[in-house]
Amino acid sequence: MTEVGVSLIVTLVKIVVLLGVALGVSAYLTWFERKLAGHIQARLGPSVVGPFGLLQPIADGIKLLTKESIIPKGADVPVYYLAVVLALAPAILLFAVIPFGPEFEVFGYKVKPIIADVNIGLLLVFAMGSLLVYGTIFSGWASNSKYAFIGSLRKAAVIIAYEVVLGFTVLGVVLLAGTLSTVGIVEAQAEKGVWFVFYQPVAFILYLFCMLAESGRVPFDIQEAEAELVTGYHVEYGGMRFGAFPLAEWYLNVMALSAIAVVLFFGGWSGPNILGPLSPYFWFLAKMFGLVFFVLWLHWTLPRFQARDVTEIAWKIMLPLALVNLVVTAVVLYMFGGE
Amino acid sequence: MGIRKLNRKDYLNILEAIFFIDFLKGLSVTLRNLLRRPITTEYPEEKLTPPKRFRGAHGHFVWDGTEPPSLRAIEKFMSFEKGKSRCVACYMCQTACPMPSLFRIEAVQLPDGRKKVTRFDMNLLNCLFCGLCVDACPVGCLTMTDLYELAGYSRRDEVLNMEKLEAFGIDYKNRRGNEPDRIWPKDEEREKLWGKIEWSG
Repeated sequence: MTEVGVSLIVTLVKIVVLLGVALGVSAYLTWFERKLAGHIQARLGPSVVGPFGLLQPIADGIKLLTKESIIPKGADVPVYYLAVVLALAPAILLFAVIPFGPEFEVFGYKVKPIIADVNIGLLLVFAMGSLLVYGTIFSGWASNSKYAFIGSLRKAAVIIAYEVVLGFTVLGVVLLAGTLSTVGIVEAQAEKGVWFVFYQPVAFILYLFCMLAESGRVPFDIQEAEAELVTGYHVEYGGMRFGAFPLAEWYLNVMALSAIAVVLFFGGWSGPNILGPLSPYFWFLAKMFGLVFFVLWLHWTLPRFQARDVTEIAWKIMLPLALVNLVVTAVVLYMFGGE
Repeated sequence: MGIRKLNRKDYLNILEAIFFIDFLKGLSVTLRNLLRRPITTEYPEEKLTPPKRFRGAHGHFVWDGTEPPSLRAIEKFMSFEKGKSRCVACYMCQTACPMPSLFRIEAVQLPDGRKKVTRFDMNLLNCLFCGLCVDACPVGCLTMTDLYELAGYSRRDEVLNMEKLEAFGIDYKNRRGNEPDRIWPKDEEREKLWGKIEWSG
């Protein structure tokens, strides 16, 4: 078999595994979030379907799939459908540049547990993050509904603001690592022996906020804003199409951005070797789901910012902070760093 | 357990703002709640017992040897059987009721001069469960039970007739008859909710 054929098959297997795991886990994150929210509010959460309500995501899936989904009158039908794809695809594609562990060998072939080990991995992340806004905008526009449209406009404003901050935030880490490749950043941390969160605490906090804003989580969920906009840009969708938006935005996106946060700030797969060859994966997933848990925890704790405050915070507070952080990092690195 | 008054600050000071003290406080509150036991009652599987004074569906106490003296006094004017309703058709409940069409009570005079109650219907669709009828009953017959699952498939299901009322009354007396007449069924529960009460005298 040729080299190309093998690498194609390996990549295909990786894609299938990652897609299955990502979608399955995000479906179960719905269960986890409902359980968490329930217990935070002294309720039980889902408990009827299966033991501890564990079959709830499946029941929800069946319900969503068998539901009639109505296309609103005056909707722009092709765009209406396109929006679902454009919401889901970038969220899944974000996983392509996440390295889950170090290189290993199977039958003499070297396999990297990352789908696309490109040297501009982080740039790809930003590209996909920016693409996400199209799903939102299209769904708001195509739905022909004022709630959906207001929601999508708010989301667009948030994404534009926070994408800029996110870029400048991450640049500090890029300066330290000297590469845009996600694998390279993890290896740089392993080389230095220090997680970048200790070098870049401000950047980490800013990244956390940007992550919340990008994934539409509280306190930046002004595009959902249940109380004012019913549920924002996907209000006119029905059935599984309705389910796809929160799945992409609230679960896939949060998982992917948490994974990238782990790569950038928490040393990726590094950690004490406790499970033998599975140890790096364990550490990566543990850190990642720790962050996901933190995001969910924050969601059920904080109230929502006002719509005007959200962009104001981004442009007036977080962007200057990110810039100062970047400049200080660059100066310090220039003066004391240097290989 | 006193009430602590808190003054909310308009702005956080700079250290609090930098370290997100308010966020952390909020997170600690939710974490504490997360570790607390849920207070949910899983209703269809698990049902709370209401307090004895709960005002649920009505019932009729029956002739079982515990009649009050007021009923003993007019016993000889009534036609009754043991295990049947104590009602003497005095219409006091209907008079006390704020809803004129709720009760439908009928009685006949037997040839030997005694009175027999032939009908006692209560239309619970009109009932507001105020309990005035129970207070008005002079012979200790009408009561309110702790039954609260009163939904039915038709309007007719919501009308309590004599048999149903007797059944409810017997059931209620069997289950709750010996309990002390307190607001909360158990002292511990009441104390948990309201604190210890110092009874006077």
